[in-house]
Amino acid sequence: MGRYIIRRLIQAIPVLLGATLLIYAIVFALPGDPIAALAGEKRMDPNIVAILRDQYHLNDPFIVQYWYYLTGLFRGDFGKTFAGVPVTDLMAGKFQVTINLAATALVLEAVIGIGLGLYAALRRGRPADSLILASTLVLISIPTLVTGFVLQLLLGVKLKTAGVDLFPIAGVTEGWRSYLLPGFVLAGVSIAYLTRLTRTSLAETLRADYIRTAVAKGLPRRRVVGRHALRNALIPLVTFIGADLGALMGGAVITETIFNLPGIGQQLFSSVYLREQSVVVGIVTVLVLVYILANLVVDLLYAVLDPRIRYE
Amino acid sequence: MRVTNGARIIAGTALLALGLAACGSESSTGGGSAAGGDQPVRMELGEPQKLFYPGDTTESEGAEVLAAIFAPLVDYDENKQVVNDVAESIKTTDNKVWTIKIKPGYTWHNGEKLIAQNYVDAWNYAADQDNAQGANGFFSRVEGWADLNPGEGKTVSAKGMKGLKAVDETTFKVTLSKPFSQFKTMLGYTAFYPLPKAAFGPDGKITDAYAKQPIGQGYFKLDKPYNKGTDQTIDLTRYDKFPGAKPKFDKLQFKLYTSPETAFNDLVAGNLDVHDSLPPSAISRAKTELGERYIDAADAGVGYIGFPLQYNKIYSNVKVREAISMAIDRKTIAETVFSGTRAPADDFINPLLDGYRQGACAVCNYDPAKAKEQYAAAGGPKTLELGYNTDGPHKEWIEAVANNLRANLGVQVTVKPFEKFASILDDLDKKSYTGMFRMGWAIDYPSAENYLTPVFSTVAIKTGSNYAGWSNKQFDELLAKGDAAPTQEEGLKYYQQADDVLIKDLPYIPVYFYRTNAAFSQHIKGVKINLLNQVDWTKVEKVA
Repeated sequence: MGRYIIRRLIQAIPVLLGATLLIYAIVFALPGDPIAALAGEKRMDPNIVAILRDQYHLNDPFIVQYWYYLTGLFRGDFGKTFAGVPVTDLMAGKFQVTINLAATALVLEAVIGIGLGLYAALRRGRPADSLILASTLVLISIPTLVTGFVLQLLLGVKLKTAGVDLFPIAGVTEGWRSYLLPGFVLAGVSIAYLTRLTRTSLAETLRADYIRTAVAKGLPRRRVVGRHALRNALIPLVTFIGADLGALMGGAVITETIFNLPGIGQQLFSSVYLREQSVVVGIVTVLVLVYILANLVVDLLYAVLDPRIRYE
Repeated sequence: MRVTNGARIIAGTALLALGLAACGSESSTGGGSAAGGDQPVRMELGEPQKLFYPGDTTESEGAEVLAAIFAPLVDYDENKQVVNDVAESIKTTDNKVWTIKIKPGYTWHNGEKLIAQNYVDAWNYAADQDNAQGANGFFSRVEGWADLNPGEGKTVSAKGMKGLKAVDETTFKVTLSKPFSQFKTMLGYTAFYPLPKAAFGPDGKITDAYAKQPIGQGYFKLDKPYNKGTDQTIDLTRYDKFPGAKPKFDKLQFKLYTSPETAFNDLVAGNLDVHDSLPPSAISRAKTELGERYIDAADAGVGYIGFPLQYNKIYSNVKVREAISMAIDRKTIAETVFSGTRAPADDFINPLLDGYRQGACAVCNYDPAKAKEQYAAAGGPKTLELGYNTDGPHKEWIEAVANNLRANLGVQVTVKPFEKFASILDDLDKKSYTGMFRMGWAIDYPSAENYLTPVFSTVAIKTGSNYAGWSNKQFDELLAKGDAAPTQEEGLKYYQQADDVLIKDLPYIPVYFYRTNAAFSQHIKGVKINLLNQVDWTKVEKVA
């Protein structure tokens, strides 16, 4: 087991290096001069532009620029933004917000998604089941942009002006409460998918032979569902949730913008726009790491859920 | 029936958890948003692009914060006239040598006394190429600027500009390389703020600590260092030793937003007090929901359509440019496309400033019949291209202009989107884009001259924003005459003559004047936005 984990982690190193090179090259290939973009719609003195380009090694060929970046990376230096802020400081602040948001979303997703799916699977074909199926379909078909703005207006603005202050509208200044509404919006589509996945997966397991055996043995129904059926049905769900973690962290641009959360989604967007290679590569590298670790955890969880699976 | 119990428990726990969460939050908020005595006045702000270096802050968000922390030498009154602020007197006899005396009694937030040398230090710092400050070019009129800017790769040997000298503790002298009658007007700009001794480290550079928490000499001081990228608020407290007019409230808070729509929602819900950049989508809601708390005021900006005159000859006939101008229905664009958040342009100088003449640009009037006739007679091109940047609200009006041209001139028009403004400039520099392009200008200092020299003079082709590459000797000469004029009135006369040359030759087509759309909450009153698009905090009052 321990050996397996170490092997997986070692395998991650070339993946990480490859990712930095690839992302660095992609950002490098974007059109437009980042220094000119800094000046907005007015032209900066051409002399100052030349000096700044020199300072940021922008005149050097790609491979030299990448080398500067990589050697910095090995010294633990992620570089600086064009505004002179160290990328490590920037990422620390942004990841804090994103982790809070993703964690809120993940908890909501798991609790509501599995809960509703379980309920629907056990009441298959009844009105409650149909209602859940229909409402998840609606949730899947509405884009996050719409749910975000509508919920913000209804649960944030309207409720607040009516005197009930439940959900903050924007920002992270109100602690964990700030993350509830955006967390739900972000998790929305995943909740719907997870509900349906749980329902199908559990319904299928419940038809399996060993469940029939368990029932025939005279086990109480709760034990049949909880121990025998659900545990097996959880495997595809864990895969889904694990893969979703990465998406929740890196793909929250819209939610972060609507609710004014200064997370990495937003930062990534504006840094790609400004062509801040060091920031983009830094963030993506950490995201790749998150994906790799999440996958590893998912694989290890398989073994916990299904003792037949073993890793050497 | 035991089957469903398990599910019930799980689903029930989920609901309970949500319910508990909701209850918990209700109890924790008691009165958090009420306008109590300690509640700061909260203003919307986009994230400042850089840390707070006055000489490197050339964008509006950072400038807004600095304007609260620093007091400028001159200010602009309600009649758009330049008035002394920190300056006691600004004197010149020839528009070349300027003697500036500062009022006594000003101190820096750390207790240091404000002295003339602080200005000399700050300006020399901003003008030195080694410091790579964005506002470097603003000092190019000062004698000795060239010595501090020998060019990339060369070392600066001069110590400061020779045209800049502190005479005594309260007086300093600025010698320009050429007369410039508008110099006094320039001095209200961010780049001309002074810097205290405490700003500089042992190496003579502005320290990081200072750029995070600048010490100013204005009516507000920063509470704590600003961590760019992490902090969502910038908090300020009134500086009570400030000798000038002070705000009537103690605390000001800038709240950083990335989406103006979200900020507007926050304002409606009572979590924000001032929002000075309402998005077009919020205008109708603001009008109906806020009533008198919605502000629609003139703004000094101008929007144009430009021609790459330098290298594309198909636009070189002025009759063609005039016809295109006459084919644009500015009124409908301003009122419909922009929902009244723009005004149709009829001059190169904005109506907010002295020097504007209503209807000065005759070919800015919508006249489709004449446009068509003149376009055909001048042999205008059969296809036109119109470029714009998609990172601003430009698509709609550019499409409207394209439709006007198609309908009124009978030509084919292709609209070309660029991902950002810098990409248009890139392609223009490389001469790879040959079509018309959208362009805009926001003033740096409120003078009619600021609409002319930086955008249309020959020197601005290289160092300014003359993207048309238009060059006209008569125009340059009139500007020089205006710069040397002994009085403001006389100067303005020459600038207006230069404006006439522009209208006659039409290197750009003026399309609209900007307007400022702001809103404020019921917690405050007296919000006024000045010529530089900043809130005048001395006039704002809290409503109990």
